[in-house]
Amino acid sequence: MRSIREYIRLYFLIEAQYIKARMHYRADFIISSIGMFFSSLVTLGVFWVLFGSITDLAGWTLQEMVFIYAFYMVAISPMQVLFDHIWQLRFQIEEGSFIKYYFRPLNMMFYYMSEMFDIKGLVQLVLGIGLLAYASAQIGIEWTIGNIGLMLAALIGASLVQIAVVVTAACTAFWLVDSWPVLSLSWRVREIAPYPMTIFSGAFRFLFTFVIPVGFIAFYPSQMFLRPGTAPAFVYAAPVIGVILFGLMYLVWTRGVNSWSGTGS
Amino acid sequence: MRKYLALSKGWFMTGMVYRFGFIATIVGNILYMVIAYYLWTSVYDGQEVINGLSFDQTFLYVALASTVFILFNTYVDWLMSFEIREGRITNYLVKPIDHQLAVLAYGGGRTILNILIVTVPTALLLTFAFGVAIPVGVGLLLFPVSLFLAFLISFCFDYAVGLTGFYTESIWGLVTVKETLILALSGALIPIQFFPEGLQNLLRWLPFSAIYHTPLMMITQPDQGLGLLLERLAFQFFWVGTLFVFTRLFYNRAIKVLRIAGG
Repeated sequence: MRSIREYIRLYFLIEAQYIKARMHYRADFIISSIGMFFSSLVTLGVFWVLFGSITDLAGWTLQEMVFIYAFYMVAISPMQVLFDHIWQLRFQIEEGSFIKYYFRPLNMMFYYMSEMFDIKGLVQLVLGIGLLAYASAQIGIEWTIGNIGLMLAALIGASLVQIAVVVTAACTAFWLVDSWPVLSLSWRVREIAPYPMTIFSGAFRFLFTFVIPVGFIAFYPSQMFLRPGTAPAFVYAAPVIGVILFGLMYLVWTRGVNSWSGTGS
Repeated sequence: MRKYLALSKGWFMTGMVYRFGFIATIVGNILYMVIAYYLWTSVYDGQEVINGLSFDQTFLYVALASTVFILFNTYVDWLMSFEIREGRITNYLVKPIDHQLAVLAYGGGRTILNILIVTVPTALLLTFAFGVAIPVGVGLLLFPVSLFLAFLISFCFDYAVGLTGFYTESIWGLVTVKETLILALSGALIPIQFFPEGLQNLLRWLPFSAIYHTPLMMITQPDQGLGLLLERLAFQFFWVGTLFVFTRLFYNRAIKVLRIAGG
């Protein structure tokens, strides 16, 4: 077993090389970043247009919606930046090239994910942090030490939920080979995350809270800051839920890795 | 004509291979409609009409918009950049075949597949599950014509992005910029009537609104006067012509930068 410190050092070494290689395609990087910029902001544009005709959405103001959306942008960034390689898994399983990850004295998930670092995803992260600061200043959220700590825990928990949902979906490739339908759907369900779960009726709210827990990517954890007095008690479990889901995902990954028998090539 | 039909059929069959992918597309579309349904229910919240549209009209508009988005999703931009990168583009140079029409034939084949697999189930779902009635009027007759013109405009954007494959390694960024701009400025995510007044006037003159807003208004407000409807159709014709000429000129320029090492 290597220590966490060793892994972190290794990660920086690998990514430094990766980024150097990617920077050969500078024009591609710039255009991709512009694409990321626009696609991150389009839903926010919809909110802005919508609030020209209404004053609140199920009791939530535009500023609060911006806060939830900014939280969402930050929460989905670690998946985009650090786990982007998962999109290649189904091709590597189909071709058999996944076999190489078995032959290094490293944690397999670490080794696998370290092979890609999505630089353009940082655009979304920076935009999200900026918007989160802006929205909380507008709303008047006090940034005490306790609140900052809670925010960090909430953001880490929420990003673990997003990672768990997508990586679990991608892991179906170990058994189905073509995981595209499951994977693309798991990617689309996050679009539900920036909306107040209270707009959905009972059955769908249950579905998005307990079955596909996208409510925990942004809406529920945001309530700890937007409505600290009146939020239901379970929203305070949001950071822990991320850790639990990530753990479950890791179990699925481990089972998948152990059950895959290669292609013989 | 026959040679292009063969290309259409080919891309239709290729699409058929990814049958399970279509299930994801349909479920994804249903998911989008569920979000849209509850979002707009909250927005209307007891109000009969907002910006001249009833809840039923707005929901029909938004739900159909996402269906049209899938309908026009032909992946020809990706196909083109792949063919350029792999050097297969030369196939068009040595055969008596027009590149733009060939790609259009591919797109058409894929769209017909999309109609069968996505549009028909969606229409049934809208009618039975969400109980949305499709209003009858003269606009309904013009809708197919308008949708076809919208397809041609959407194709021109795909084609232009595909051509940038001559200059850049990966077209992900431009595909994303194109899709986001079209979605945001065409009224595909939110009817143009909801935009601020000044912006509305601008958006109506840009080609984006001719892709979504024009055909969708024909179906949601089919009785808004034949004169206005024909005016919008003429506007679509104008953009089809302009963009076809522009993308052809772009092709003639782009093909000159092509350097292929061997076969």
